[in-house]
Amino acid sequence: MKVSLQSLSRHVDLAGVSADRVAEVLPMLGLEVESVTTFGLAPLPQVVVGEIRSFEKHPKADRLSVCQVDVGDGAPRQIVCGAKNFKAGDRVPVALPGTVMPGGFEIKVSKLRDVDSAGMMCSSEELGLGKGEDGLLILTPRAPAVGTPLNALYGPPDTVLEISVTPNRGDCLGIRGVARELSAALGRPLLPLSHSTPPGSQASGGPRQVRLSSDACPYYTLRAFRSVKVGPSPDWLRRDLEAAGLRPINNVVDITNWVMLELGQPLHAFDAAAVKGAVEVRPARDGETLALLDGRKVALDGTVCVIADEARALVLAGVMGGAGSGVSEATTEVLLESAWFRPADVRRAARRLGVSTDSSHRFARDVDPAGVELASRLAADLLVKLAGAEPVGPAVAAGRPPRADVTVDLPAGFVAAKVGAPVSDADVSAALTRLGFTVKSAGSGLSVTVPSFRSDVTRPIDLVEEFVRIHGTDNVPVGRPAAPAPGDEDAPSAAFAREASARLIGAGFTECCHYSMRDAAELARTLGGDLAPALAIENPLTAEQTHLRASLLPGLAGALALNASVHADLRAVFEVGVVFRPQPDGQVREHLAVAFAALADPLTRSWKSREPWDAQRMKRLVLDVAALAGAGQARLSFGAASGGLWQAGHASALLDRARSLDGAAGVLDLRWTRSLGLRGPVVAGEALIPRSALAEARKTPRFEAFSSFPPVTRDVSVVVPEAVAAAEVESRVRQAAAKAAGKEFTLESVTCFDVFSGGKLAAGSRALVFEVRWRHASRTLTGEEAAKALEAVMTALEKGAGWTVQR
Amino acid sequence: MQQQLASIVATAQQESAAVTTRAELEAFKARVVGPNGTLTQVMKGMAALSKEERPVVGKLINEAKKSVEELLAALLAKVEDAEIADALGAPADPSLPSPDVPAGSAHPLSRTRERMLASFRKLGFTVAEGPEVETEWHCFDALNTPADHPARDMQDTLYLPAAFRSADAPRKGSEAVLLRTHTSSVQVRTMLSRKPPFRIVAPGRCFRRDAVDATHSANFHQVEGLWIDRQVTLADLRGVLDFFVKETFGPDAETRLRPSFFPFTEPSFEMDLRSPNLGRLSGRWLEIMGCGLVDPKVLELCGLDPQEWSGLAFGLGLERIAMLVHGIDDIRHFYANDARFLRQFA
Repeated sequence: MKVSLQSLSRHVDLAGVSADRVAEVLPMLGLEVESVTTFGLAPLPQVVVGEIRSFEKHPKADRLSVCQVDVGDGAPRQIVCGAKNFKAGDRVPVALPGTVMPGGFEIKVSKLRDVDSAGMMCSSEELGLGKGEDGLLILTPRAPAVGTPLNALYGPPDTVLEISVTPNRGDCLGIRGVARELSAALGRPLLPLSHSTPPGSQASGGPRQVRLSSDACPYYTLRAFRSVKVGPSPDWLRRDLEAAGLRPINNVVDITNWVMLELGQPLHAFDAAAVKGAVEVRPARDGETLALLDGRKVALDGTVCVIADEARALVLAGVMGGAGSGVSEATTEVLLESAWFRPADVRRAARRLGVSTDSSHRFARDVDPAGVELASRLAADLLVKLAGAEPVGPAVAAGRPPRADVTVDLPAGFVAAKVGAPVSDADVSAALTRLGFTVKSAGSGLSVTVPSFRSDVTRPIDLVEEFVRIHGTDNVPVGRPAAPAPGDEDAPSAAFAREASARLIGAGFTECCHYSMRDAAELARTLGGDLAPALAIENPLTAEQTHLRASLLPGLAGALALNASVHADLRAVFEVGVVFRPQPDGQVREHLAVAFAALADPLTRSWKSREPWDAQRMKRLVLDVAALAGAGQARLSFGAASGGLWQAGHASALLDRARSLDGAAGVLDLRWTRSLGLRGPVVAGEALIPRSALAEARKTPRFEAFSSFPPVTRDVSVVVPEAVAAAEVESRVRQAAAKAAGKEFTLESVTCFDVFSGGKLAAGSRALVFEVRWRHASRTLTGEEAAKALEAVMTALEKGAGWTVQR
Repeated sequence: MQQQLASIVATAQQESAAVTTRAELEAFKARVVGPNGTLTQVMKGMAALSKEERPVVGKLINEAKKSVEELLAALLAKVEDAEIADALGAPADPSLPSPDVPAGSAHPLSRTRERMLASFRKLGFTVAEGPEVETEWHCFDALNTPADHPARDMQDTLYLPAAFRSADAPRKGSEAVLLRTHTSSVQVRTMLSRKPPFRIVAPGRCFRRDAVDATHSANFHQVEGLWIDRQVTLADLRGVLDFFVKETFGPDAETRLRPSFFPFTEPSFEMDLRSPNLGRLSGRWLEIMGCGLVDPKVLELCGLDPQEWSGLAFGLGLERIAMLVHGIDDIRHFYANDARFLRQFA
């Protein structure tokens, strides 16, 4: 919404108020000022009216003319010019040498293709007056005296403020609404509107019948005019429209636009000759089409409201006029519509068409029903004055204004309780009165009548906002918040994410942050082609961001590749964030993912070599992260990993007995990481934790006493077929060792510390060697006890599992 | 005797030069002070001496023994030194660089977020989280954003297909499921699930259907705050936000509340910040967050009686704060993950 200071001054006295001051005041009322620009002719004392006495073609350039121009200072001066739109005797603006043009360009005496030129004849655009006709600004019709400074022909420049109006403030989509705000803030009265057209009669039976057959339009008025002379608008009207960013069209259309800018009430002018019989506001008929003013032909249906005559739809109500019934040069009879359309219907219709017009924008923000009649009268005044129009018959009004003023009861102390500081009724009353509200005492509180132009103010809390806007937010004290209730803690997921990050940062990983939306190929790699479509977004913006992410690892592999390509030495990266996983039941579950990836070999050389990072290091980190999520190692084991991210045989999947956590660790698929530009292997890990798993607060651990006696350790070597997983063997050893300890002493640990094959072992088998550690709570275990327990373990493995134990 | 002892000590000293290992040390020790050692033999001879000779010879023997023991202690130290040198290798140049990977670092957005959360925690605000995929009700309806509000137009919000069923945000009826456009949905979930009073901050990822440029990102992060209590006021709002701004931007930062509009707060404000320490943005009013008192309609929709409860709410962009604090000029840096960017804030 563009408003100029000169137009605001029609509604509120701004004498002595600078543009800067207005630009300071408006934002603090809730009207954000996006730009402040000068409109009109800036002070240019060295630009004067000149007369082109004669001109001839430039000897060396076909497109240039050499002109003799009289600027009233004696002999004519020679000026070279590129424009074509003039004739001898034309008067034009001439910038004399020394002028600094609005664009910052300084005019100097110079030579153009070897011909002297002492000044510049100017176009409208060069003078900062907007895009006019092509070529020079021809002043001949105005017949100004030669030598007159151009500024004498134009009024002083205006200041235009571009204001962004929030959706609740439809009233400020008219200059008078903005002026009303300034009047309240500056304490200056709002000037009355003057108009001479009498209010329209409520009686029907005028020249046109109006029928309302749509809920979208409860109130519709028409005025009829004849002998209308369509032509260009006067300068002041054109200027006002241009200052607001509108293009002048003809006097009738310009008047409707000018009133809309002034009051915020959109109007529509029909060529009455194109309207057959009665006017009806009705839902469009299915299959009905309408050719719009913008040249489009749209198919309509019953969800949109149209203005129609007896034959056809003429206007898309509140949005855009039709091509067949608009005002043209040939128009002599005009119907002027001023109406109230329901905001939701206009918004829906405009959205369906994919347009936002000055009209739909305003109707969608609830125009003032009380302004419908007023706008019509103002426009009628101007049609009579500027287009010679003669009113025909009385104005027609169908329906009733849908809203009126609203009275809100404001309980005593309500405002003070919301502000958090003492506020007197008098203060509240003064502030609201300045806004044009009517305030009366009612019992212990106040009764506030809110005019219909403020549809957003209906409740006591709305009046608090109004009070604070006028009272000034700087006058609200800065409070000192009271102590909070005890016992609140951060969500467990937040605490977990923090701890997991700290663990990984300590291990040398740098945190990354990637987009959640990924492309289809990545999802197919992560989840497989069958599951990937489950994470597709309905309305993606780009082909790179079509799916929700299912893993953080592709992003991390990309980050390693990017940094390797730019020679930024980054070996290890991690990310913590939400990923999405389709579940067997068809639902999608959010998991908090902690993922990390590292180049197995360092990027840079070192005087001392280190072992490459391997899959085992990644497994350790996955377990550590899982432990932070409350999943102890007893619950977890690893099996072979599958899927497109991992290198078969060199990665393992996390198995959770509680079926809650998910994860994997190992080497990323080597062909994939190589295709990203990473030469060596990339080791990585990812733990996926559903939010529900983190929901329970962690218990405070209780101390348990421990034995002060030494343990006994015994080794047991088991030969198993290669296909048997170490975890399975370990689990058997653990069971047997716990059983052997019985209730007398306890099994402390079982650790696989050696794996070998070949030698004397049969092909296809391997030996796993475990250390078993027992301890007694209150004494040292004897050798016999240990031997007996070991024997029991070995027997169990031989007889129970059918494996060979090396004795 | 005296000569004999002197010769034993002298021999021992002479032989000790050849001792380099622990085994040689043990053998040497046995030769001198072992059961058949040279010195032991002399000591055994003491029994044959007369009562008068014994003190004199005893003294000589003790002196010799002491010399030998000193010799053995020195040898032991020498052997141990050799063993340590063997175990540890040659002394290293202490000025050589460590070959190991240094500690990593948190992402600037994480660092900024943790700093902000720490400030709010001082005022009693604890972290709440919620799903990134939300129902339309939690994201819009419950926040008093009516069905035909422009924010719900397809061009602003990323939706999921009708067949999408979220385990974390189940639909009620046939409402749409979408990627949350703000973390205000966490406020809704908190009001529905917790009994007031409470103060929460909800940091998290949000999504808009925006083309990416220097200031727009298809996903971004917000930190939103909500305080529900019996008598929460605008003075509390200023108190909380002023505290946060001074913590984040220093004591010279000024703030102002500029009236604005959000469907979920009334009154609503934009908070502007002005600081002398923001590089080329110094001394200008900069919009940093939206805030206000929770609209009574929102309280009602979330099951709280507006007669009994009131609240304040605020929401700010994490990227915006990080960009202001660190003078970052392009939001895309946060998602590009170039180490030369990431390391600047470690």
